[in-house]
Amino acid sequence: MLKYTLRRVLGMIPMLFLVSVVVFFLAKAMPGDSLSGEIDPTNTNPEYIAEMREKLGYNDPVYVQYYRWVTDFMSGDFGKSTRYKMPVADLIGEKLPNTIFLALTSLLITYVLAFAMGMYSGRKPYTLGDNLIAGFNYAGIAIPSFVAGVFAVYFFAFKLNWFPFAGSVDIEIDKGTIEYWMSRIHHVMLPAFVLGMFSTASYTQFLRNDLIENSRKDFVRTALAKGTPMGKIYNVHILRNSIIPLVTFLGFDIAALVGGAIITEKIFTYPGIGLLFLDSVNNRDYPTVMAITMMLSAMVLIGNLIADILYGIVDPRIRLG
Amino acid sequence: MKRKSMLWLFAMILVLSAFLAACGGGGSDDASESDSGESKDGEKATEEQSGEPQQGGTLTYGLDATPEGLYNWAFYGIATDAEIIEFFDEGLIEYDENLQPIPNLAEWETEDNQHFTFKFKEGVKWHNGEELTVNDWVFALETIAHPDYDGPRYANVETIEGAPAFRAGEADSISGLKVVDDYTIEVTFDEPRLNNLTNIWSYPMSQKEFEGIEVADMSGSEQVRTKPVGLGPFKVENIVPGESIELVKNEDYWNGEVNLDKIIIRVIDNTATVGALQNGDIDMISLQPVSAPDVEKLDNVEVVTAPGLSYYYVGFKLGKFDNASKTITEELPKYQDVNLRKAMAHAINREEWIDAFFFGYGKPVNKPVPTAHWIAADDSEVNVYEYDPEKAKQLLDEAGFVDTNDDGFREDPNGEEFVVKFSHYATGNPTFESRSQAIAQYWEEVGLKSEVEMVEVNLYYDMVEKDDPSIETFFGGWGTGTDPDPSALWKADQLWNYPRYDNPEADALLEQALSVEEVGDDQEKRAQVYAEWQKKVTEDVPMIFIAELDEIMGVGEKVGGFSMDVSGYNNPAEWYLKQ
Repeated sequence: MLKYTLRRVLGMIPMLFLVSVVVFFLAKAMPGDSLSGEIDPTNTNPEYIAEMREKLGYNDPVYVQYYRWVTDFMSGDFGKSTRYKMPVADLIGEKLPNTIFLALTSLLITYVLAFAMGMYSGRKPYTLGDNLIAGFNYAGIAIPSFVAGVFAVYFFAFKLNWFPFAGSVDIEIDKGTIEYWMSRIHHVMLPAFVLGMFSTASYTQFLRNDLIENSRKDFVRTALAKGTPMGKIYNVHILRNSIIPLVTFLGFDIAALVGGAIITEKIFTYPGIGLLFLDSVNNRDYPTVMAITMMLSAMVLIGNLIADILYGIVDPRIRLG
Repeated sequence: MKRKSMLWLFAMILVLSAFLAACGGGGSDDASESDSGESKDGEKATEEQSGEPQQGGTLTYGLDATPEGLYNWAFYGIATDAEIIEFFDEGLIEYDENLQPIPNLAEWETEDNQHFTFKFKEGVKWHNGEELTVNDWVFALETIAHPDYDGPRYANVETIEGAPAFRAGEADSISGLKVVDDYTIEVTFDEPRLNNLTNIWSYPMSQKEFEGIEVADMSGSEQVRTKPVGLGPFKVENIVPGESIELVKNEDYWNGEVNLDKIIIRVIDNTATVGALQNGDIDMISLQPVSAPDVEKLDNVEVVTAPGLSYYYVGFKLGKFDNASKTITEELPKYQDVNLRKAMAHAINREEWIDAFFFGYGKPVNKPVPTAHWIAADDSEVNVYEYDPEKAKQLLDEAGFVDTNDDGFREDPNGEEFVVKFSHYATGNPTFESRSQAIAQYWEEVGLKSEVEMVEVNLYYDMVEKDDPSIETFFGGWGTGTDPDPSALWKADQLWNYPRYDNPEADALLEQALSVEEVGDDQEKRAQVYAEWQKKVTEDVPMIFIAELDEIMGVGEKVGGFSMDVSGYNNPAEWYLKQ
């Protein structure tokens, strides 16, 4: 297991290198740079723009720029954001906790809901409850998150006033108090639910189908014949088998949540990595775009690794050399 | 079994669609119920004469764009950040409703427009308790002129005598700045100019606050980003980056009593603007034209407008510019015929276009200066191109653009196919494509075949600036500041003269307007020269001037004491909440 993990970790290095090449050249291929776009003549002049381009090294050959970026990146210097004028590492550090908080909440909501609904549907397939859940799930899969987000804001924030419509915390509350954390949880619930809706739906259906399939297997009949109570069969024998595919999703989720939060964060004006990424792309803030993309790529690789390791833990049969 | 579940699915879809329909209906019901409380006459819309301003309360101010977090006049880059700085910091000079400079923190005297003496108010305190002195201003100017400075403001310091030498590292200080005492300073410019005063950087920076911070590190420092200090009516109490800012009343404000206890600035997504105003989650926000009609329908919010300082145009590429030699090197033949350009101007129905795409929050503009600016010529003094398709057709006929092969479109005087290529920038905004199609449509109606090309916005301005051959006619917008001088956008030796307009007579007028010998302090004469220049430009039609837009604010009914004019809104210290 350890050897396998190590091998996978080593294998990530060339992958990351390739990703860095793609990320860099794609970023540079975007038309314009952080100094182009609509110009406000009352606020700047051509000399300043030319000077800044020179200073930022945009006039150097592309491979020189790439080499500079990669060597800095390796030594932990992610560069300085051209728009925010602060180190990218600090910028990401400022937003990352918000995104992680959102992702974890969303994950929690997803798993709780998916387990509850999936177990119910799986045990009582083709009943009224199962069909209701299926209806909810299909809606969840069919409605894109940006539509769901806007409607959620309209209903739950403006009409019903249950949740705040934007932001991550009420600024007037002192940091560190219990109210502060309550306020943060209050703010994160709605975006987390919208973010988790799609995966809740697919997990529920996945779990349901797996439960139904497993309940028809021979070992269930055997257990039943031996007189094992139905509840125990489901909770111990079947669930354990059905959980395997779900657990492996966890690894992919880590990356998907951070990346998938882009739209949701925008709609709820939730200041996390997604919102930062969107703004940076629009502003051609290369250092920020590249650092975030590299981070997301690394997380996908790590997520895959975790998924594979979890496989081994949950199901000893697939443990690899 | 299977059929049953399909039925259920169908039922769920029905339920869901009923649900969606219900909410759509609810929204429009709310909207049509009331259309009282709206007012479009601007200037003094919320000025209610009844009662004294009340003290206390927390006002929530909305922003529909994310600030970058550079909360210092010397370092900010985008308008959103400036909107925030307005609340807690102010400059030496203010501008009145005619955009004339008036003393704020300092008064000035000058006899020759080259040597100025500034006298600062005594006893004005920074939020950190330090007193404002002229040294804070010198500090700001030297920061901006420093070689490591990474903001765009050097042009506002450059004209001070000795600033270029300081920037090149040849001098330890700027020789044109002479501190007389803590409240008096003499400033010498490199030459006399009429706009020296409006051009100079007029925002001091607290020297004490930035002590020990290298210029290169300033824009990333907490003094700029999270704990800024200023001289304004409110103090920054707390900042949640990218999301909200808490401002509290400055008890020691130098310019009268501050009414509000607190202002909370919240960043919201523009899809939430209308709902947030309706629910009172925000009390004020600057509106996009597209959401203003919905806000007008709310009965608890007033829409206040004031004339803006920017205009939209359709430009013609008339030449090519060489940035190294700063000259227009080549004339492009396609649109050289002035009658063609005039005809294309007459073809556009600007009123209809503005109503369709800006919901009436703007008006046609007839000259390269927004009407609200004091140098703007009267419409009777310039050539106005009203919507007149018949005249357009006549002009085209005279110019030799006639349909020779009966394809329904005109050919050029040589009988070749003539296609107008119109470029417009593309962002996420879906109206851009339709508004540029609309303009092309107007041209087609007078018989000019037209094509629209949408170009991604960052690339677009690069192409316009570099005179890319694919740009022939192009849509654009310019803003003008308080300084009336339009040279940077219009003279033949300027990179940002995008049409490559080259008329030596017009350039001579621009120079004359700034010359101390010929015009001196006579504002009327200066306005006169600019009017002549505007007439020249409108005769030559290097651009079709399309529209000037209003500044629009949504203001909740609880807010009092707010007013807005062309120079911006009044001092937030005067705002109050009605209880």
